[in-house]
Amino acid sequence: MHAFPRPEEEYLAVERAPVAGTCPECGGGNLAEYPVLGEGGWWNVRKCQDCLASLERERGPLFGVYVPLGLEILRGAGG
Amino acid sequence: MLGVDVGGTFTDVVSVRDGRIEVAKVPSDPATPAAPVIEGARRLGVEGRPVFNHASTMGLNAVITRRLPKIGFLTTEGHRDMLTMGTVWRPLDAQTDAGWRRSFGDAARPLVPRYLRRGVTERLLPDGSVLTPLDEEQARRQLAVLARCRVEGVAICLLNAYVDATHEKRLRELAREVLGELPISLSSETSPLAKEYARASTTVVDVLMKLVYADYATELDRELRDLGFAGELNFADCAATLLPWEAALEQPFRIVVAGPAAGTVSCARLAETLADGNLICCDVGGTSTDVSLVRDFRPIVSNTFELEHDLVINALSTEVRSVGAGGGSIVSISATGDVLVGPASAGADPGPACYGRGGDAPTLTDACLLMGLLDPDGFAGGALRLDVELARAAFEALDTPLPLAQRVSFAYRIAAANVAEEVIDIAIRHGVDPRDFSLVAYGAAGPMLLPATLELLHVKRIVVPPHPGLFSAVGLLSADLVYSDSRSAYVVLGPGTAGTVAAVFEEMEERLRRRVGADRDDVEIRRSFDGRLYGQSWETPFVAVPEGPIDEETIPELVERFHDEYERRFGNRFPMLPVQGVTYRVQLVVPTDKVEYARLEPRDASTAPRRTLELRYLADEPLHAAEHERETLSSGSRVEGPAVIREALSTTFVYPGQVATVGGVGELVIERTAGAD
Repeated sequence: MHAFPRPEEEYLAVERAPVAGTCPECGGGNLAEYPVLGEGGWWNVRKCQDCLASLERERGPLFGVYVPLGLEILRGAGG
Repeated sequence: MLGVDVGGTFTDVVSVRDGRIEVAKVPSDPATPAAPVIEGARRLGVEGRPVFNHASTMGLNAVITRRLPKIGFLTTEGHRDMLTMGTVWRPLDAQTDAGWRRSFGDAARPLVPRYLRRGVTERLLPDGSVLTPLDEEQARRQLAVLARCRVEGVAICLLNAYVDATHEKRLRELAREVLGELPISLSSETSPLAKEYARASTTVVDVLMKLVYADYATELDRELRDLGFAGELNFADCAATLLPWEAALEQPFRIVVAGPAAGTVSCARLAETLADGNLICCDVGGTSTDVSLVRDFRPIVSNTFELEHDLVINALSTEVRSVGAGGGSIVSISATGDVLVGPASAGADPGPACYGRGGDAPTLTDACLLMGLLDPDGFAGGALRLDVELARAAFEALDTPLPLAQRVSFAYRIAAANVAEEVIDIAIRHGVDPRDFSLVAYGAAGPMLLPATLELLHVKRIVVPPHPGLFSAVGLLSADLVYSDSRSAYVVLGPGTAGTVAAVFEEMEERLRRRVGADRDDVEIRRSFDGRLYGQSWETPFVAVPEGPIDEETIPELVERFHDEYERRFGNRFPMLPVQGVTYRVQLVVPTDKVEYARLEPRDASTAPRRTLELRYLADEPLHAAEHERETLSSGSRVEGPAVIREALSTTFVYPGQVATVGGVGELVIERTAGAD
């Protein structure tokens, strides 16, 4: 039987990958890329961490970072 | 008097002096919007004019096109998406569709981008008590973000702030510290009414209009003074009531839409002149026909309106509905072979095919030209020559087996039927019978199209006012100067609540009197409230409040008036249920100069026609119609249809079986002749 330990973090959050650049809205240099779940599903976004302006927004995978087991098998079968 | 209607294409400046109406039409210029107004005013002369009344679609166009200044929106933490959610309206077929997304309003094209909508830690309860104190440090951090993003204005709308404005006012102080002197609108001052979404959207539009209009209005006033204008510059609001421009800019959300209501106000003025208080107002323009009602001498006014779908503004506005049937409406053939008119329009450029400006789609104007109703050499006062062959070619190019005569005839009749259908819709919506109303036909194409609806609607009569092509603009010179205010307070009307209601009204009246000038005693005060049966979630608006002080003896009368109004609107009466007051309104109406229609002296004018025209496509055989010049007709003249009555900017068509009689101020009254069916 699998053991699923309780998370130790107080808040769970996706990893935000810092990227170089300057925010055209507030002039800040603290940009990051990460997936977000919005009304329209998952999106891969590049956002300013100072003012939260969205600089880029692309539709992400249907289930976000979670990859269903069946999909992994299919991917494996496809090489 | 001078009035100006700034439209997207043209700026119309109208002058009335000694009963004579003149107009200057100048192309609008979005880059320098004041310039065409000044140019038009210069042409007509401003010296000695007591008023210059102004209506513009500039603010509306800015919102619709989203060419807007960058502003921030501060609200209670956790509620910044209220602008996106709107009234949470959802179409019936999407009620159970999880995949449905709002494709309209703020969700599709935000007035304020989400990153500029910032939550502030604070919370007031509905009774005004503080659940969470304002966290000033957190608010400063949010304001610092807005400062870095260089916003030009800020809208502040906190939950329940209409009950207690303390947090909003403190936030404004903090915003001034962090952002400096820029336009800030508070919901508790802009629209202190219950229900946060409409309060928020109104506040956002208010600060946007401050940015759109502030420099423009100042420049306009200065340049008019430079031209020698020494009178009052007034701005018209959504109900086409007027305000001095400085007062209008204190709550500029009220002037976001001003043009369409002017025609209805013009009709209300005509109603007084003709002593006919029930009018259906039909303004047939280039693109659409605007329909509204005047009932008991007053336009029907709503307490809110939608700037676009589900974008609600808490402003009194004249109810005007549009149907896509105007002179430029394009005639087309549906997939099943039906002749359709509108809603697409050829607009002013390229315009109808007969303009010869490159348009090849047939329009209603082309149909009227082919029928012989329009004079190809006398259109728009002779400013434009119409090409009959281009109109014919456009109709012949339609993909239909119908002969030309039916294409043209059907186009005209269907346009008239579209307008008639809209009129019936509006009449039913308001529970009135069109047979009790007269229909006022205005707009350049109105008198040519609308007499045909007499056969469909059976209204009492059609009235074509003097100068039908300029009638809406003249409405700006027929409007009242009105200062208004409104407040919300949930109060169950009963013993012991008179003091609360009286205090709300007294506070508003005092504030308005200070603005008008406390020494004026010639103002009329109108009071009303929006109430509901206890337990309802929606209000019945505009319950009239009697004059005089409000005390324990007045409250039962307020309750009775609510039940009367409720029964009038909905047909039911529930006197056993308590009544709750929600919103209270005060208007101070200041007497102003208005257009006076000069009475025509009966004179021995000949009603002999100028010539006889051949009208085609209305019947199997061409009709022979008398052509008259309107200025040659005098009070009491009778013209039997079929007939065409021409004037500089308009043509009136008197249908076979109808008779037109010239009234006391030059209006044409068209009725069905006895025995016509």
